[in-house]
Amino acid sequence: MSVGNSFSQDRQFFSGFFPEAAITKKLKNDQKIIFKIEHQDIFYNNSADESKEWQFTHYRTDLMSFFDVKLKPSKSIAFGVFHRIQEGANSNRVIQQFASVNRLRGMKLAHRLRTDQTFTKGESMEVRFRYRIATEIPLSGSTLDPGEHYLVLSNEPIFSFQGGEFEIENRLVFSLGKLINSSQKLEWSIDYRTDKFIQEGFRTRLWAKVGYFYSF
Amino acid sequence: MIKIVLRLISLLLFFGMINLSAFAQDKIERELRIKETEVPKEAKDWLNDAFETIKKPKWYQELFESGYSYEAKFKLKGKFYSVEFDSLGNIQDVEIEISVEELPNEVQTGLNKLLSADYKNSDIKRIQIQYSGEPDDLEDFFDENSLEGILTRYEIEFIGLDEAGDSKLWEGLFSDKGELIRKRKIVLTPSENLIF
Repeated sequence: MSVGNSFSQDRQFFSGFFPEAAITKKLKNDQKIIFKIEHQDIFYNNSADESKEWQFTHYRTDLMSFFDVKLKPSKSIAFGVFHRIQEGANSNRVIQQFASVNRLRGMKLAHRLRTDQTFTKGESMEVRFRYRIATEIPLSGSTLDPGEHYLVLSNEPIFSFQGGEFEIENRLVFSLGKLINSSQKLEWSIDYRTDKFIQEGFRTRLWAKVGYFYSF
Repeated sequence: MIKIVLRLISLLLFFGMINLSAFAQDKIERELRIKETEVPKEAKDWLNDAFETIKKPKWYQELFESGYSYEAKFKLKGKFYSVEFDSLGNIQDVEIEISVEELPNEVQTGLNKLLSADYKNSDIKRIQIQYSGEPDDLEDFFDENSLEGILTRYEIEFIGLDEAGDSKLWEGLFSDKGELIRKRKIVLTPSENLIF
């Protein structure tokens, strides 16, 4: 029995590759439609058989779409639908969101409040409350201009209720981005997720992310 | 089968994204942070003469299609200053951030007239009072309060929702009588990466 194995019994860790892409179509009256795809492949899982710790396994692919309406220049609400493709755990979700993005001196500061309800076959509905704070800091000059890089730091605690059980998850993301032109952004991120703080099986997931954002 | 397709999508996305960085860029108009040593001596000298008490300004180089300029930004007595110089270090103008309440009545009236005529809804984001003139006149204005040869204007950034239902960020330049001299659109970078 290796140390790694006994460790894995109570602390699951897995890591992998996580590309995501979002396309935004601007509509009249400050409305927008957003399509987003997120895809996760596992490269390493400490809870697998020792010989299979290193792997290349499809974990999940999420497809989602949002309708976003601006309330004020810096505040908006959005409603979304979401479908998850995951072996044995396909699910559907509806999402409600309030967000604000403030342009401050030399940075953007965004707050996002979300509630969502997830429906998975054979399970009771999961309800979550989430709050994400994110800041975007240009790396050259005090404004972000085309061709320049920026940093994004974000953290999001998630509170979940399902079948009478309560759970907490946290997501910390550090990104290096590039504003390709006024409508496209590219980001390379490290996404560190911890969950099962309350129930058994504390778990950490570390993702190498590449994100592409296009808005027209 | 579906797994193979998903894996392929994943790889395509990954390599596709890397190639995207090579995409053509928009018209270049950039602001870069630079070291004080890269700034023309004339600019540094003018700043020291006019504002003796400032500590360390932040220096920027602004690149346009037609050339470049230098800008010093600093905080003095609770106000944000930005001082612009041409590529040779000659002073162009000094801008100081002020609040709506500090706007002269005539300018407030002119601004309100424009906003209510052209926009369904608007939100003022930033106001700067802009002083321009000959280098010596500007220096006298800041160290002796002499108004001789000084042109005062107001640069106002606002978000306006137009009749077509589009909201955009604008920068309007107003005279001290409240007349609009020019207006230009400020390109906003997308924020979907922060909220979706």
